[in-house]
Amino acid sequence: MVGLSLGEKHFIKGGIDQNIRSDGRKRDSYRPIFVETGIIPQANGSARVRMGATEVIASVKAELGRPSALHPDKGKVAIFVDCSAVAEPTFEGRGGEELSAELSVALERCLLGGTSGAGAGIDLTSLIVAEGKICWDLYIDSLVISSDGNLLDALAAAIKAALANTAIPKVNISAAASGDEQPEVDISDEEFLQFDTSAVPVIITLTQVGRHYIVDATSEEESHMSSAVSISVNRKGHICGLTKRGGEGLDPSVVSDMISVAQHLSELLMSRLDSEISAAEAEGGDEEL
Amino acid sequence: MEFVNPEGLRLDGRRPMEMRQLRAEIGAVARADGSAVFEMGNTKVIAAVYGPREVQNKSQQSNDQALVRCEYTMANFSTGDRKRKPKGDRRSTEISLVIRQTMEACILTHLMPRSQIDIYVQVLQADGGTRSACINAATLALADAGIPMRDLVTSCSSGYLNSTPLLDLNYLEDSAGGPDVTVGFLPKLDRVTLLQMDAKLPVDIVENVMQLAIEGCKAIATYIREVLLENTKQLEYRRGL
Repeated sequence: MVGLSLGEKHFIKGGIDQNIRSDGRKRDSYRPIFVETGIIPQANGSARVRMGATEVIASVKAELGRPSALHPDKGKVAIFVDCSAVAEPTFEGRGGEELSAELSVALERCLLGGTSGAGAGIDLTSLIVAEGKICWDLYIDSLVISSDGNLLDALAAAIKAALANTAIPKVNISAAASGDEQPEVDISDEEFLQFDTSAVPVIITLTQVGRHYIVDATSEEESHMSSAVSISVNRKGHICGLTKRGGEGLDPSVVSDMISVAQHLSELLMSRLDSEISAAEAEGGDEEL
Repeated sequence: MEFVNPEGLRLDGRRPMEMRQLRAEIGAVARADGSAVFEMGNTKVIAAVYGPREVQNKSQQSNDQALVRCEYTMANFSTGDRKRKPKGDRRSTEISLVIRQTMEACILTHLMPRSQIDIYVQVLQADGGTRSACINAATLALADAGIPMRDLVTSCSSGYLNSTPLLDLNYLEDSAGGPDVTVGFLPKLDRVTLLQMDAKLPVDIVENVMQLAIEGCKAIATYIREVLLENTKQLEYRRGL
């Protein structure tokens, strides 16, 4: 990242104070969002989301596994983020590991709820095949291809779109088993169940620059933020997760204000994403014909 | 298993000397100095070039030529089974080295001393021939970055199954146990810059199979040239020329 001069910093900050950002947006506008689904044929579901110059790919793979002993009625979901060196030279080798870990944990927190699985955006009970014995393990892998700020929002959007595109094969238990035996299963090649994503939340990241906060920051704007709060909101307007990043402390009233701003913006973002996703899915369906 | 059926068609319906469908796109990564996406059938790779820029590690700096570095990674979801470790495994290290040596031979490094050129290649979908697709994508990305080169480097693979030389193997044909010849070629200078082969091949067939791969490389070079010309026309148009 090329450093910014003092003059440029003042320009960006002054612009935000007057509700005009460097690319002409207002403080609460998102960049144009493009969604493409079904781009990875060998995955159960996949999507590519582009927000301005930030581009991420998410893929969902489902494999049969054993549910954990603590939650025999729930499937398992694991989220991994990989920052590709293609996006930033600093991500080469192990350089992107820290950011990848931070993003993975933030996503898991927002989408998967607490350790008991309570309040998860993804309904884990729908992944169970045979209680206590067989469940679906979903592996959500995301790749950051181009990085221009606001990675968390883009990743959450890509995961939402990929889950909407996910088709889990129907499993018929062919032989019942007793005790510890694994039942025989027959994985259908023909019948698929579409994953239900109505409860999957979106993430809104509000970056504080000076005295105001902006949504969907570019990497220039992110480079001199004082702090950022990422809030995950679901369709009902409920908060599913919260992450604060950045060194500067925030007044509690500012945080409450940010939360209500995020709730308001989430409706717009959710409806925008939903229409983009259904358009992408329709396109994918047309192509198959 | 039959890889070429009696009618002369392969598993995916191609003829023995037919290459998979090619598709290229320039400028996919906005922040990179040059970038390209290259598809050969179901194999899809994205390459980004950063440079020439200041050398990060001064001990590697060279006073009379540019330092060329390359990293090859495969996405978690690129193969049929989920890959757990995207980078650092031996195969990735070897392919990074191969791509670096191939591109380094072709870049006019003496024109950019004390600088560094980074080539990053990411495999999004792997269906055989990833090495070749990466080299082709890297060539396009270097051209997009405006880095001076002796010639375009193109690469293609070929094999020999059911007593037939086959061009551009996909994953199934590659894992069949037959030979897999990868060739890197400079079309204008008419020189082979990379040659790798595994498994066994009768000596009198080697020339044939290698020549087939070279023909594949020439076809790819024609396509790459077309793509670059089209891209330049677009740039001209956008500049209002």
